[in-house]
Amino acid sequence: MPDIRVDDLCKSYRVAVKATGIGGALRHLIRREHREIHAVQSVSFQVEPGEIVGFLGANGAGKTTTLKMLTGLIRPTSGQALVAGEVPFDRKRRFLQSITLVMGQKQQLMWDLPALDSLKVNAAVYDIPEAEAEARIARLAELLDVNDQLRQPVRKLSLGERMKCELLAALLHQPKILLLDEPTLGLDVNAQDAMRRFLRDYNREFGATVILTSHYMADIVALCPRVLLIHEGRLIYDGSLSGLVDRFAPYRQVRLDLAEPLERAALERFGEVEALDGLRAVLIVQRSRLTETVARVLAELKPRDLAISDPPVEQVVGRLFLEGVVSPIGIASPIPAAGATGTTGAAGTTGAAGESGNDPGSSP
Amino acid sequence: MMLARFLRKARALFVLYLGYMLEYRAEIYLWVLASVLPLILLGVWAHAAESGAYPLSRVEFIRYFIAVFVVRQFSFIWVIWEFEDLVVSGNLSQQLLQPIDPVWRFVASHITERVVRLPLVLAVVALCFGLYPDAFWLPTAADFATAFVLLVLAFATRFALQYMMSMLSFWSERAASIEELWFVIHLFLSGLIAPLDVYPEPVRRITELTPFPYLIYYPVNLLLGRGAPFGQAALVLGVWGGLGWLLQRILWRRGLRRYSAMGN
Amino acid sequence: MARYARVLWLFWKTSLASELEYRLNFLLAVLSSLGHLAGNLFGLSLFYTRGGSLGGWPFHQALLVMGLFTTLQGMNRVLLSPNLQRIVEHVRTGTLDFVLIKPIDTQFWLSTRRISPWGLPDVAFGLGMVLYAAAQLDLAPARLALAIGPFLLSVVIQYSLWFMLASISIWYVKVHNVTEVLNGLLAAGRYPIDALPAGAYRFIFTFIIPVALLTTVPASVALEREGQRLLLLSVPFALGAFTFSRAFWRHALRSYTSASS
Repeated sequence: MPDIRVDDLCKSYRVAVKATGIGGALRHLIRREHREIHAVQSVSFQVEPGEIVGFLGANGAGKTTTLKMLTGLIRPTSGQALVAGEVPFDRKRRFLQSITLVMGQKQQLMWDLPALDSLKVNAAVYDIPEAEAEARIARLAELLDVNDQLRQPVRKLSLGERMKCELLAALLHQPKILLLDEPTLGLDVNAQDAMRRFLRDYNREFGATVILTSHYMADIVALCPRVLLIHEGRLIYDGSLSGLVDRFAPYRQVRLDLAEPLERAALERFGEVEALDGLRAVLIVQRSRLTETVARVLAELKPRDLAISDPPVEQVVGRLFLEGVVSPIGIASPIPAAGATGTTGAAGTTGAAGESGNDPGSSP
Repeated sequence: MMLARFLRKARALFVLYLGYMLEYRAEIYLWVLASVLPLILLGVWAHAAESGAYPLSRVEFIRYFIAVFVVRQFSFIWVIWEFEDLVVSGNLSQQLLQPIDPVWRFVASHITERVVRLPLVLAVVALCFGLYPDAFWLPTAADFATAFVLLVLAFATRFALQYMMSMLSFWSERAASIEELWFVIHLFLSGLIAPLDVYPEPVRRITELTPFPYLIYYPVNLLLGRGAPFGQAALVLGVWGGLGWLLQRILWRRGLRRYSAMGN
Repeated sequence: MARYARVLWLFWKTSLASELEYRLNFLLAVLSSLGHLAGNLFGLSLFYTRGGSLGGWPFHQALLVMGLFTTLQGMNRVLLSPNLQRIVEHVRTGTLDFVLIKPIDTQFWLSTRRISPWGLPDVAFGLGMVLYAAAQLDLAPARLALAIGPFLLSVVIQYSLWFMLASISIWYVKVHNVTEVLNGLLAAGRYPIDALPAGAYRFIFTFIIPVALLTTVPASVALEREGQRLLLLSVPFALGAFTFSRAFWRHALRSYTSASS
């Protein structure tokens, strides 16, 4: 019995369009022009209890709107969503007790008072007996390591500490389903790390279903075995992260330590040259021709070292959004190897099994 | 040369804030409608005056409150809330970096807001004349001109005084509460609730020492053609406004020191 | 329900705790209320000089109306306006989402979350005026107590009107000050309805913005004046307005778009 079931969910808005300046303002008075925005178009998916799923997408792609339709905040234009067996927009009590919402950079705690006071209010709202509430607060505070911070006024806490208290407040009623909208937004690296670890542990211990949206690939890579890629309101991919790379970026990076410096042209016979710096080169090779290319490189160039890895997920996703080469049915044409776009910077890999040799970069 | 540069900046500010105010015209129109107290009092006094017990006739009362409504729209100042906002949020820092004193922005916003108010104010006045056609009148050109000058003086004085009070935002987060106290006094001493003619003599004499009657009562009298001691008004307003301005300069400097000391 | 009572208690406790951080405010509130009290009494007395009156009402009867008005305004400042500012803020910053997520009636939450002690001086002075006027009129306490019921209806009417207007900010945050228009119009409740001229004024302030129902009717009931017949209007109006405010709020939520991140 799936925790979340979405069929053909759609959301459209009508927005008034206005030109700038005084002339525009006056014209706007007389005649209104409207534009229809299709924020979410026919999205369908299911989530089983205990899953952790990531919504991935560019700004304005529709992932937050989809998430908020699951919380009952926004009424769908058409289609159906069932969360914990209920229609979210009906806002039935049973539904509201099973879910929770956490939003990055937005808080529900009272600003001037200690977090503990806000927690007591929440306990009352969710009808948790006082003794039970105290026990839960203690346990979660232990897990989140915020024991001392609970008694200080919220405005005196750092952003990371505040987010931890927010999490506490959000989880006090032990919801089955956690919905998180950009939860690590604005946090420093350590705080982000701590939150990811906590969510993973919480999911493991309590079996809660987790849906999160994020811009930070590190969040998705660290937490989500399954991703839903939303682009311009449509769901174009639903599956594992490694599968995403396979489908949309059927190429590999081949890093070479050359024996002697070479001209760029000399390397271009083997594949797209993404980077060339002295004796180090990075080639992009189509997967279908990987083995033969590697064999040729080894034979002809005799490099001192050769490593094969997946392209960084950020790069894959970034390219997807930039070039928009995805069609609604979800089958994308291979990304054209047209010059080096972005840096390979923090090369997070999918951790996909296989030929990934020494890949530098962060482990999630 | 200096004047040309100043005028250019003034024009830029004016256009900027006019666009801004047009964007918020719905809110502004609602403020106009929210200030209908004079019109309510119009009804009450007009009805009461039918008994003939007061120094003014029914028609005179009606005209008085229509004029009060108009004058009030143009003499109301809200700079203390805007300033308090800037200080508390820390956004004052951005404005301090600009080559013009922040005060000019406030002046620009106040003037452009009134421009946007004007159509609705005229519509309301037309409605009043529709209800009471026998009270219709138009001030003579001379009366209108002197009233206008006095109103500009009143605006400047009230602005200077309130801006001076805004400086207290550097020291307290609730400086705007002072304005509430000021407003209470203003409400009852400026002729807003009733023409000063119906006030007992001793009370009336006290009010004339304060700047309040010169903000509402005397401009209204000018518009009604009843005349007002212009020289006296200009003097009182000038003194109060000047004091406000001087005090503001002092508090501004002290306040800025404190503001930057707090790491803004 | 016990749960709502427990929640209400906590709402008010936490709200007062954070307000009382600002003690200077109380002093200012008292001064402001005193100022309004003095001014209102003075203003009222101006009508009664030289043999004039307000709609034929004797001075102390008009004072009773003014006392009820001041009390009503005080309760507004204590219970309603602190919450109003919060609603608009919630819509603007997107924190309304957190309220909608909770398994509790959102109208209840938004209407009772905050309480402000700054209106208490007004309530106290208003009641003082009422009692003083009643004493001057030799009004029996039992008679005066009859005004309580209609007065409570006035509170319900005022709340419903106010909440309906606050709901509009879901659609247009720019018209957040529409409740100020209501406040401005309610100022007519200072005086007995008969003080207003017959015709357009009286019609508007009885049937459209029912100011007459708010203060004149409770006073008329206590004073056994003719206006007490309007009580027949108060009851259905209060019920209707309250029910409509709930329906209107639910309707507003259907159009809620929620700020995106």
